[in-house]
Amino acid sequence: MIPIAFWRNRRRYYNLIGNKCKSCGKEYYPPVHICKKCGSKDLVDWEMPKEGKVISYTILLEPAEEFKPYAPIYLGLIELTNGVKVIGMLTDVRKEDIRIGMKVRATLRKLTEDRDGGQIFYGYKFVPVE
Amino acid sequence: MSRVFVASVGLVPIGDQWHKSISDLMVEAALKALDKCPWAKPDRIIVGNMFSGASSSQEHLGALLASCLGLKGVPAFKVEAACGSGGVAVHEGYVAVKAGLADVALVVGVEKMKDILTPQATKALAMAEHADYTQVVGTTFISLNALIMRYYMEKYGVTREEMAAFPIIAHKNAVTAPHAQFKRAITLQDVLNSPMISDPIRLLDSSPAGDGAAAVLLVSERYASKENLVEIIASEVANNYFLVVEREDPLFLEATYIALKRALDKTGLKITDIDFFEIHDAFTITAALSLETMGLSERGKAPRDALNGKFELNGEFPISTFGGLKARGHPVGATGVYQVAEAYLQLTDQAGPNQVKGAKYGLTHNFGALDITTAVHILKRVG
Repeated sequence: MIPIAFWRNRRRYYNLIGNKCKSCGKEYYPPVHICKKCGSKDLVDWEMPKEGKVISYTILLEPAEEFKPYAPIYLGLIELTNGVKVIGMLTDVRKEDIRIGMKVRATLRKLTEDRDGGQIFYGYKFVPVE
Repeated sequence: MSRVFVASVGLVPIGDQWHKSISDLMVEAALKALDKCPWAKPDRIIVGNMFSGASSSQEHLGALLASCLGLKGVPAFKVEAACGSGGVAVHEGYVAVKAGLADVALVVGVEKMKDILTPQATKALAMAEHADYTQVVGTTFISLNALIMRYYMEKYGVTREEMAAFPIIAHKNAVTAPHAQFKRAITLQDVLNSPMISDPIRLLDSSPAGDGAAAVLLVSERYASKENLVEIIASEVANNYFLVVEREDPLFLEATYIALKRALDKTGLKITDIDFFEIHDAFTITAALSLETMGLSERGKAPRDALNGKFELNGEFPISTFGGLKARGHPVGATGVYQVAEAYLQLTDQAGPNQVKGAKYGLTHNFGALDITTAVHILKRVG
């Protein structure tokens, strides 16, 4: 993780801010420079809905170095209510309770921290909705 | 425009090459190919490689190889397209010869993966994805494939046991492949009992890390009368949207589909005319998705077809004839060059026990990340 690169995008990671095409209305996360549907370059930052459902998941036992202290990590492929798909960590859930179709909500959590005691990286994770 | 031929190949056995540096590996592969064609003097050198900077603190591989070979004045450079670097390197060599800019293009794929530790290699491999939006949430390349594998199994009702057909075929073919990393067969129980990496992907669902280098010597039609040539009749590269989550159907490999369609359209061939397929079986799931996208199986049916023998060496559509990425090995940036070299061996009857008898056409299929950059080559027996 490169601290400045994270800092540059922090608001996107905190609140799932992607963008939306002003011409055709298609929504994106991550944000795009040119609308893939209509080709417009006229896009505006747009916050994603926080609710969605798990369409796939994995239990990752061998994460990259930055995430080693948190292994195993649970990752979900989430379809948000606007149809946008995102990948994010699943938390506040037991491994055996994760299932396809489970309703989840994005929440702000600590992702990891700079190894040299520097920046703490916060971002979205998904928790189950009761 | 010139026709393009493979005149010779050089293969370094894949594995733990602690005693060889990245330049040693490149030079060994290059000399194996060049020594078979003393008449050939490279006027272009392309090196396919993904992460020599991270693995060996070494970049500038094209000029490094040229210099090691005692050459000056040659256009020599590295191309990078993640795990598709090798296929793209062959494509670049092909383009140069086709366009008449080169008569002898030396293409070398190389990767040094074992000088660094697994977490460092994991990080280097993750760079194939969009760093800002995958690495930050903890995704690795394997976990991305795991998400897709579960999605696939869920959607089509494919069982864990059925998925295991692919690594079993790959290992079976590697037993008699001199350059393969794992020359041993595996059983269903071996797959099911292997350590979990990213559920449902187990160790034996995943291609291994290894050091390797392969070379192919591409020549123009000026040398068409030479012995033991194989013609490259199509070389196509296509991209797909970078993030899997951006794709309408994450289980359809659109770059593969487009590159393959172009290759078939240009040659007038049907997919069923091809005699063997070196596919990008980096993971069990990528083998299934590749075969289904290519139209060799119906959607959701590739694992079942594999169990029924369709993709065995003596089956209807042989795949991974020397063990594929899974068992021959996947030194990432070198893999696409290994595949073309293997197709050359098949089409010159030098494949030994792995020979697909009477093969006339062979296809190679190599992609970077999950079908983000895909190179497809069709090779044809000469004479």
